[in-house]
Amino acid sequence: MKTLFVIAWRNIWRNPGRSGVLLMAVVAGLWAGVVTVGTMNGMLNQRVDYLIDSEIAHAQIHNPEFLLERRPYDYIPEFDKLVEILESDQRVAGFAPRVLADGMLQSPVKTAGVRIRGIDITKETQTTSFHENLVDGQYLDSDIRNAVFVGQRLLESHKLRIGNRLVLTFEDVNGDLTSAAFTISGSFQSASSDYDESHVFVRVTDLLPLLSPDSEVYHEVAVRLHDIALSDEFVRDISAQITGVKAQTWNQISPELSTLVELGGVMLHIVTLIIMLALAFGILNTMLMAIFERLREIGMLLSIGMSRAKVFLLIMLESVVLTLTGAVTGIILALISIRRFAETGINFEMFADGIASLGWDHVVYPVLSTQEFAGIIVIVIVITMLSSLYPAIKAMRQNPLEVEK
Amino acid sequence: MKNHIIKTENISKTYNPDTVPVHALKAVNLEFSKGEFTSIVGPSGSGKTTLLNMLGGLDKPTEGHVEVDGVKITGMKDSKLIEFRLQNIGFVFQHYNLIPVFTAKENVSFIMLLQKRSKKEMEHRAEELLNKVGLGDRMDARPKQMSGGQQQRVAVARALASEPKFILADEPTANLDTSSAMNLLDIMEKMNKEQGITFIFSTHDQRVIDRARRVITMVDGQVHTDEIHKESSSTITENDSQRIDTE
Ligand SMILES: Nc1ncnc2c1ncn2[C@@H]1O[C@H](COP(=O)(O)OP(=O)(O)OP(=O)(O)O)[C@@H](O)[C@H]1O
Ligand SMILES: [Mg+2]
Repeated sequence: MKTLFVIAWRNIWRNPGRSGVLLMAVVAGLWAGVVTVGTMNGMLNQRVDYLIDSEIAHAQIHNPEFLLERRPYDYIPEFDKLVEILESDQRVAGFAPRVLADGMLQSPVKTAGVRIRGIDITKETQTTSFHENLVDGQYLDSDIRNAVFVGQRLLESHKLRIGNRLVLTFEDVNGDLTSAAFTISGSFQSASSDYDESHVFVRVTDLLPLLSPDSEVYHEVAVRLHDIALSDEFVRDISAQITGVKAQTWNQISPELSTLVELGGVMLHIVTLIIMLALAFGILNTMLMAIFERLREIGMLLSIGMSRAKVFLLIMLESVVLTLTGAVTGIILALISIRRFAETGINFEMFADGIASLGWDHVVYPVLSTQEFAGIIVIVIVITMLSSLYPAIKAMRQNPLEVEK
Repeated sequence: MKNHIIKTENISKTYNPDTVPVHALKAVNLEFSKGEFTSIVGPSGSGKTTLLNMLGGLDKPTEGHVEVDGVKITGMKDSKLIEFRLQNIGFVFQHYNLIPVFTAKENVSFIMLLQKRSKKEMEHRAEELLNKVGLGDRMDARPKQMSGGQQQRVAVARALASEPKFILADEPTANLDTSSAMNLLDIMEKMNKEQGITFIFSTHDQRVIDRARRVITMVDGQVHTDEIHKESSSTITENDSQRIDTE
């Protein structure tokens, strides 16, 4: 076996040009593939992290009815008991009760549908980082009465400025329409400009008297845990402790987020597979050329008594050693690049506008998990083996009489 | 009964039986004994190569069969036949056919490795054989760095390394100049005399034919003559053996 390895290695370098070209192709292909995949992966992860951090948090609790119809009177029952439980739960890092209303926004220019989110600014700040999206003016911690925090995009499309007033109209808990004027305290820009145009934030203390003058009601509680991995277990415990509410983890709330995470994994393997399939033809071509040049030598080996199995093994070794040398080099280079870019980030500023409307960051930090990495290695090995098989079988089936030609 | 190591029983070989049949061998009956030094001669296309292929189990006769040391190799399973060749038959080819990426010593060792001999034995035997063929100082040379004559001597050493029952050589001197050819013959003859190694070789070269003790002449796929030559010029002299050692 060791000797076969030696012959294989020396055979590879008999035609340094041809082997070199294949080697470079494998190195370049895998480097580009793995870096691309790491970048896509990074983008997806950042998107997911951003949504979790800025808005969704790790878990949310609602009245199950509210999730279906979003009616103002489907608020969380036994809210005080829930607060008690959350405050005593060691896993909870912070929680934010929210009052939600879907309604109309009227500006001097036009009327548009909006989602109004009434927030407790102290608790919200402990739970999410949405306040960090402030671009102009002030967050809701201003002294202005009936302050509203709106998206920069909404501000522009309604031709409004900080300090201008707008009217919000929505249904109260009794099913009656109610309106009030709010003053714009500041504007934000989240990663998604669609979101920015359709959501406004107000203080819960301003919204509650309009929506439910008689009692304190909340539609949603967002919970941030000390560790995202505790989400499932936390949600199970809450559901067991209180009836009449529905607790959900971040991926239940936003299935598209977990789809994104899975998509990242799938893309990774698809890209690797496509690159490897292209390389497989290179391997096949190179090895077939190498064999056709050496028919006489293979005939000699069979004549003097080398078994067909060993001839097969020899050609497999040549092919696999050559490809894997390139693959390992390519992957190592890719990991170095990814590690570097993971610190500095890759700046896609030139496409920033397009990316932003889809809700993506323009500085991307590529990542690759150990599992994904293992997946790539498996694909590389399998494809290398498969594409080496045909030349090796071809060699093995030669007639020993080739030696006389 | 077993004084012969190869026996052909009415072997015929027809190439392309279905299209343009070529009757390369026609009912050939031959026996070869241990220690022979035999040349197969005849005009081009007379069937010399075809006959050697049959004797070496590289090709199958269309009819008849070949026995080696009492074992019928015709009809043997391919994988068994390869193993049989490894253990019993040595080959020297016209084009030397060494492994180009191996040194002389590695080429000689390789066949012993296939036979699964111990590393120590391989080393020792490869060096001994290369010394015997006069290449003690070229052990680490690769085929490309050696002359045709030197490469063919490595090939002879390789054939000897596996301790075969006999060595088949199809026109081993065809690509060599006269002095290299005679030198190779000297070596083969010496091995034959001193160690009783059986050589069967085909050739067109009269000087090579003259060195053989038995000459089989093929004509048109049949044995035309089969003569035993008296030992004459082939006797190895003091002078000859010195020439081998110092080469
Ligand atoms: N693979 C083959 N297919 C068809 N015909 C063949 C094949 N090999 C040899 N022959 C034919 O069989 C006959 C005997 O060929 P062979 O090679 O045995 O002759 P040879 O005596 O070795 O000739 P040479 O001295 O030229 O080497 C020739 O007519 C040749 O053309
Ligand atoms: Mg011939």
